[in-house]
Amino acid sequence: MAAVDTTKNAIPFDRGNIPGPKMARPTKADVAGKLISKAKRPLLIVGTAAGEEGLIEIVKIMTEKGIPVAATGSSMENLAKEGIEATYVNLHALVSYLKDTNWKGFDGNGGYDTAIFLGHTYYHASQLMSTLKNFTNINVISIDRYYHPNAKQSFGNLKREDHVKALQEVVAQIL
Amino acid sequence: MVLKKGRFIIEDLENVQINIGEVAYSGAELEAQGPTSKPRIPDLRDWDKRLLNRYEPVYSPVCDMCCNCTYGKCDLTGNKEGACGIDMETHQARESLTKTLMGTAAHTAHGRHLLNNLIERFGADYPIEVGFSNLKAPVTQTIMGIAPETIGDFRPVLDYIEEEITQLLATTHTGQEGDANDFESKALHAGMLDLLGMEVADIIQISCLGMPKAIEDTPLVEIGMGSIDNTKPVLLCIGHNVAAVTYIMDYIEEHELSDKIEVAGLCCTAHDMVRYNTNAKIVGSMSKELKYIRSGIPDVIVVDEQCVRADILKEASKLHIPVITTNDKILYGLKNRSNDEIDDIIKDLVSGDEPGALVFNYEKVGELVPKLVMEMAPIRKAEGITALPNDEEFKELVSSCSMCGNCVIGCPQGLPIDEAMKAAAEGDISKFEHLHDLCIGCGRCDYECPKGIPVLNVIEKASQRVIREEKGKVRVGRGQISDPEIREEGRNLVLGTTPGVIAMVGCPNYPNGSRDVYEIAEEMLRRSYIVITSGCTAMDIGMFKDDEGKTLYERFAGRFIKGNLLNTGGCVSNAHIAATTIKVASIFAGRNINGNWEEIADYVLNRIGAVGLAWGAYSQKALSIGTGCNRLGIPVVVGPHGPKYRRAYVGKPYDSEKWNVMDGRDGSVINIEPAPEHLWISAETKAEVMPLLAKLCFRPSDNSLGRMIKLTHYIELNEKYLGTLPDDWHIYVRSEADLPLAKKEALLKKLEEEHGWKIDWDKKKILEGPFRVADVSFQPTNVPRLCKGASE
Repeated sequence: MAAVDTTKNAIPFDRGNIPGPKMARPTKADVAGKLISKAKRPLLIVGTAAGEEGLIEIVKIMTEKGIPVAATGSSMENLAKEGIEATYVNLHALVSYLKDTNWKGFDGNGGYDTAIFLGHTYYHASQLMSTLKNFTNINVISIDRYYHPNAKQSFGNLKREDHVKALQEVVAQIL
Repeated sequence: MVLKKGRFIIEDLENVQINIGEVAYSGAELEAQGPTSKPRIPDLRDWDKRLLNRYEPVYSPVCDMCCNCTYGKCDLTGNKEGACGIDMETHQARESLTKTLMGTAAHTAHGRHLLNNLIERFGADYPIEVGFSNLKAPVTQTIMGIAPETIGDFRPVLDYIEEEITQLLATTHTGQEGDANDFESKALHAGMLDLLGMEVADIIQISCLGMPKAIEDTPLVEIGMGSIDNTKPVLLCIGHNVAAVTYIMDYIEEHELSDKIEVAGLCCTAHDMVRYNTNAKIVGSMSKELKYIRSGIPDVIVVDEQCVRADILKEASKLHIPVITTNDKILYGLKNRSNDEIDDIIKDLVSGDEPGALVFNYEKVGELVPKLVMEMAPIRKAEGITALPNDEEFKELVSSCSMCGNCVIGCPQGLPIDEAMKAAAEGDISKFEHLHDLCIGCGRCDYECPKGIPVLNVIEKASQRVIREEKGKVRVGRGQISDPEIREEGRNLVLGTTPGVIAMVGCPNYPNGSRDVYEIAEEMLRRSYIVITSGCTAMDIGMFKDDEGKTLYERFAGRFIKGNLLNTGGCVSNAHIAATTIKVASIFAGRNINGNWEEIADYVLNRIGAVGLAWGAYSQKALSIGTGCNRLGIPVVVGPHGPKYRRAYVGKPYDSEKWNVMDGRDGSVINIEPAPEHLWISAETKAEVMPLLAKLCFRPSDNSLGRMIKLTHYIELNEKYLGTLPDDWHIYVRSEADLPLAKKEALLKKLEEEHGWKIDWDKKKILEGPFRVADVSFQPTNVPRLCKGASE
């Protein structure tokens, strides 16, 4: 099966959402997977749509690979039904905590070096990524279906079916 | 006697006259004055710092550049400094101030325009009358330290606001303020001024224009695009300032034209039109502007100010709908016809020689507009002018879609328009009908289509069936909450036995259609929260019905008691919602409010479980209203578009030092639960926001019964909408009496097993745990000088 080219259509999903000179690098799925795999303290931040079919299986695999999950929006209900261990947190509050170098994280072991975004309302996540981009050193990787200019690495805009295929490539790289 | 500006002639002395140009003082003199009457920029800075220390500003830049001066553009990405030395954080704080000032200026200018008009019509000595209240202008009294008695008494109030706005705006110039938190303090100042400007605007119109005065059972009026009788000549009024429109409605009434002309309003002008005369109808919120104009139904449009689309004239002129502008905020490049003969103006507009007219003479507007509507309607109806395609054109348009997806990327909501096009081409218009309510009517999609498909018109054409069914009911804006209502309910609010006040306000930029606000309101009302609403949200709440065909306004009464739904009115009536908390502090708690903002805000923050929800906030005015509420100690939640305001005030529950308050009885420091946890925050979905609202109603002053009620709702809403028990429920437990009755034993078990608390199972009592002991006499305060024995 040919790999999905996740670097195509790398224009902001909301056309006017051009933040400035620094925009996310369009990233291949396997590269995103390797970056996540290399992260020392990754955090998977999922939005409401991550509870949908196709994505929730990916979230489950990532938790099985040891990546903690922050369940934002109203994703918690579907995650809980699937038995996925996650911590509910408001996304706006979470970026505020991530910005705080004194925050000990959900497990008390310190902050996170990599934030992975999946399943969010586009404009909500985009704005809150801009907080992380401008005021933290956290590596923000968007594996969402849309090009997110405020991430450091992002997929381009993808069709639903291609997105799921790309996510499967991502998790295949996570050791 | 109150001295007024005017002219006095001394009897028996010929040719002697004394002119009094200005009086040093207006309004009733108040003896007890707090420390900050007419506060200037630095005067409430200490209070702001207390807020900002606990609720740290979180910035989410929309643009990483600063383009304010010719040094730039400067790239501030990563919190770099620009050429002038300002860093990203400080620049964002400045942006927050600038946008807040826009909102404040809009409301204050509205108030000034209205005041000038009403003084001209009724005289400066016209008395203020707001209903059954001694405390008539709570915000004014708290900020200015005066109790206005006549509408003229508000002149120095507006003078004060206008001076402060000028000073604040000056600080946004390059080379001024360089500290982010001081910019935030200034934004909070601007927000506070906004509450004041709004209060002036609404009190004077309530007093002079016969609008409802703190009445709980105001009439129900029709709302919705489907409620307008388009067989009659249709006049559409858009905006927020009802001054000119009242002359039109008076003329129609006096000339017995009420049955002959359909008078409809859009946005907050509509609220105030029906407060003035219930013969008017409400089309709906701002999101209906473009949709309704393109339907071709309006025969004449009158605009005033605020939230009026910039392209109204362009859109209307394509459909031969004359536009009358009546306010200097919106001139549209039109000729000033204020001094022209009415017949000449009508001739030019009917012929289409002119697309509209600017008329500042409201007597003339009053006569011109009804005559113009009567002339235009037969012409326009005979021609059947509309922007919407006919059935055949519709089929051609949807079939020509190439599914490129540009419209989806152009849509601020990212709506799947392409999928609806495809379905429609196959004969299924249901997807378009679904999109109709989700669509905010901005028209950006039209510009994106490479095939030139007028996308919005296609959506609206496909949705004609649902549009015809768009009929709801709204209870006419009541104005303030009366003193007797506060006496009855204040205690329940402060002790927490009424779980909270949810103020659902603001604009229609909802993430998932207007039904969300209906469902949120219904859920909170059924749980006995007091829901107070205003503006576009108040309209949209009334657009949906239950199985018996009743709207929420028909199901829930409008008194200020638990489980009631109140509509205060248009945008400027938001001042009354904030003022309700001041009234509780004054009437229930006996606090001196005169020039005493800090003490009152401290009281509100620690004791009154009120929270604002601006689920579809889009405007700078929503930002300024919310920021003003924040300075008054009221938390605000916005929808997922909210982070575009660039700034939030977020609490950190894990940082216990942020949650120290003093006990006013002795000044001792008490570590409290994070209540309220945030001051400004966004949420992604309706399901997420409801538990959040419940949580933000916790206050350290809750008694055990109150805390039990609030905790019950917080837990139940979490379980219902997020599917789990909230992670943090236990931090709001101070004793076993705080626990929800139905879950008491199960929760005690969790406290023991999961959190290590010690429980006496025989008595079902908590013996030990990291909790604060509940004390009904606790006097929480963040202000040292308010503690007993503190020196000034």
